[in-house]
Amino acid sequence: MASNPMQQFSVHKIGPEIKIAGIDLSFTNASLFMVISATIILLFLFLGSKEKKIIPNKIQLIAEMFYTFVAKMISDTAGSKAKPYFPFIFSLFMFVLFCNMVGMLPYSFTVTSHIIVTLIMALFIFLAVTVIGFAKHGFKYFSIFVPSGVPVVLLPLITIIEIISYLSRPVSLSVRLFANMMAGHTMLKVFGGFVISLGLLGGWLPLGFSVALTGLEILVAFLQAYVFAILTCIYLNDALNLHH
Amino acid sequence: MTVPEDFKTRLKIAKSKIKNQVKSDLEKKGSFMGSAFKLGTELVAAVAVGTIIGFILDNWFDTKPWLIIIFFFLGAVAGLINVIRTANRMQKED
Repeated sequence: MASNPMQQFSVHKIGPEIKIAGIDLSFTNASLFMVISATIILLFLFLGSKEKKIIPNKIQLIAEMFYTFVAKMISDTAGSKAKPYFPFIFSLFMFVLFCNMVGMLPYSFTVTSHIIVTLIMALFIFLAVTVIGFAKHGFKYFSIFVPSGVPVVLLPLITIIEIISYLSRPVSLSVRLFANMMAGHTMLKVFGGFVISLGLLGGWLPLGFSVALTGLEILVAFLQAYVFAILTCIYLNDALNLHH
Repeated sequence: MTVPEDFKTRLKIAKSKIKNQVKSDLEKKGSFMGSAFKLGTELVAAVAVGTIIGFILDNWFDTKPWLIIIFFFLGAVAGLINVIRTANRMQKED
């Protein structure tokens, strides 16, 4: 019995150790649950788009709901120019959502509760958005660091502050997702531990809390996937339509 | 004798409207919590990034405590700007 609430986050190897050029590339439980999430998404979207009926069946209806949800989110926040980036944002949203949701199942592993996973995703988004900005606007993209209507005396200070603010994007993006998922899962485990240690007499109250927290966690899992995707749209909007 | 029938359907419609109202209120509460988290991390992240930049620059230029102090405050200002911008964006959405 794992009584330590942080035990659930430990990464361990499954199968043989694989080392390429001194880098440990072994298959771990984290990789396993990423593969599981990706497989569920692929299977779900494959089944949802297989029949293409005018009157959709249930699974097609849900798949279409996800599609319109993301499409509306992109057109609302980033405008029509962001349409070519729909596949990227859709896969990002689905991956984060399903990793969070698969993590809610008992005995599973929450991939997004590790900062390295969320940080790599956030850094990739950050670099991609910066590259897109420079590709679209060239050196004019630097004007994102110089807000209009600032006195010349304050300009160097404001520019430094704007650069810090720009660089803080991947940090806030990744820390938000990771902290939410880790805090929630730790709390669930702690309350679960209370149920066991208080026994038949006092265990009912934390059990009720556990049930309520599970509901809250499912909400948070969806909300954080949504926030992750919508912030990507907002950053993309800044890069595509250069204005403040 | 269609009047009671009619009343029943009207009652049903009114009840479902109330139910939807309650549901959307609940959804709003959830997104409030999300936006609170959003603002918090926005502030902390900028302070952290500013401090790290100050630390690195201090090591480069050998000016030990000064740049980290300056960049800590610059990071705090950047965090506040981030929070104000996010709040403005949220207000626009509503």
